[in-house]
Amino acid sequence: MNISPNEAEEALAAIQTMTQKTRHSIASGGTYITLIVTGIVWLIGFMCTQFLPKEITGYIWGGLSIIGGTLGTVLGFRMGRRVHSPSTGTIAKRIVIFWLLLVFYGIAAIIVARPTDGKQATMLIVLFIMIGYLAMSLLFSFASVWWPLPITVLALIGYFLLPDYYYLWMSILGGGGMIVLGLYIHSRW
Amino acid sequence: MAELNETIHQPVRLRIMAALVTLESADEVDFTYLRDLLEVTDGNLGAHLRKLEDAGYISVNKVFVERKPHTYVSATPEGRQVFQEHVKALESILKSK
Repeated sequence: MNISPNEAEEALAAIQTMTQKTRHSIASGGTYITLIVTGIVWLIGFMCTQFLPKEITGYIWGGLSIIGGTLGTVLGFRMGRRVHSPSTGTIAKRIVIFWLLLVFYGIAAIIVARPTDGKQATMLIVLFIMIGYLAMSLLFSFASVWWPLPITVLALIGYFLLPDYYYLWMSILGGGGMIVLGLYIHSRW
Repeated sequence: MAELNETIHQPVRLRIMAALVTLESADEVDFTYLRDLLEVTDGNLGAHLRKLEDAGYISVNKVFVERKPHTYVSATPEGRQVFQEHVKALESILKSK
């Protein structure tokens, strides 16, 4: 079989494009779903916290966490079916253990720190969640490791510079930002 | 010197192999996911997969997940080796330009 150098160049370019597309597709699959689900939970939860009485917001966050967690798990399993790996079961177990331990450490940190108001407690929870996402990104797809960093910076800016509108800030820029990022990653990759 | 492989060189089959070789050696990919990734039809993908399977370059695994049939595809060790040789052959042609 003989081909010209131009044909060889085209074939190599096609291989490179396909390799990158496959890597990005696998890496972004879980990321965009995580971003959209977490973004919706934050958008609704923080918006309610800003405008509704404290007595109601606890229940709203509880409900949203259950819905978000269930939706994330179901969609995560669906995405996991795209690529079958012998190590999937072991990795899934480790992910669950990691998040449970992070929740435990987060609760312990809040008990020790004894935050004086809801904003401080919220900021600590946000930081722990972002640490969790950073760890997941570093372990599973280095391409998506960047996104928890700007969300953390946004949260810190809102906390220190706009304390009166902190929840609204987290709702629109944190939650809304995650939804936009998720949609962008999905459409681009 | 590495030689070009006629079965793999066909454009769709070349992209199928590129996608499968990108995965870890023990990983397999869902048929519908591969179809969407390559932007081809079910029939087209099925026909090319059969040719690659007949050549021994890929393995097709049909399983039931929640009572629904799922087809998983993976590159065999032979397929990976042949693909790498094909890439080397392409690169040597390009270098001789």
